[in-house]
Amino acid sequence: MARKILIIDDEDDIREVAALSLESVAGWDVIKASSGAQGLARAAEFQPDAILLDVMMPGMDGPTTFRELRKNPATAKIPVLLLTAKVQGTDQRRFADLGVEAVLFKPFDPMTLSSQIANALGWK
Amino acid sequence: MKATAQIDARSDAALSQAIDGLWERFLPEIRERVTVLEAATKAVAGRKLAGKQRDAAQAAAHKLAGVLGSFGLTRGTVLARELELTFARESSPGPDASAKLSAIAAELRAMIESRKPSA
Repeated sequence: MARKILIIDDEDDIREVAALSLESVAGWDVIKASSGAQGLARAAEFQPDAILLDVMMPGMDGPTTFRELRKNPATAKIPVLLLTAKVQGTDQRRFADLGVEAVLFKPFDPMTLSSQIANALGWK
Repeated sequence: MKATAQIDARSDAALSQAIDGLWERFLPEIRERVTVLEAATKAVAGRKLAGKQRDAAQAAAHKLAGVLGSFGLTRGTVLARELELTFARESSPGPDASAKLSAIAAELRAMIESRKPSA
């Protein structure tokens, strides 16, 4: 059965490139959300195998969304990978300290995004 | 093995073609972000860069830095990141920085307008 991934990103272009990449390279099923609030609802409803979560979003940002996911028993155990264009070391450390499975960086290579996720999560 | 390589090459080409389709779809937004940067660099030259415009320029540069490389424009990401860091600093860039900022914005514009399909 195909893996199911939820992408939460407010930027349409990034979200669509990531979705295309994961669907066509890895054959995964992709669910999309354009805000943290929408992402929380979709995570609870669809129970994805993993969540790719943008850091900088208006309203509820990535770290806040992550904490909300962890508070809800229905989503608390879903692995989360943060996706960020922040390159400064202090930001990277702060994100890693949140307790996410991995921090991935924008821009990503559409050809290899799925293998980055699979490697981070120990998927074969 | 050879057949697998052919299938891989075909699927790579299909992905590249699909990415090109997304580029065309999102080009208006990408152009708009460059326009925001061009306006901000002009404001720097005229010593008129206000806080709101600087924030908008920083956000536009951040978005470009995050996406251009995924469309194969790796140098575009480098240039956008340089603008993002410049507009993110506490002190506004002075007029002495305007020539450099304008050159970066112009290079970004040229790169975006001349991107060729990757497939």
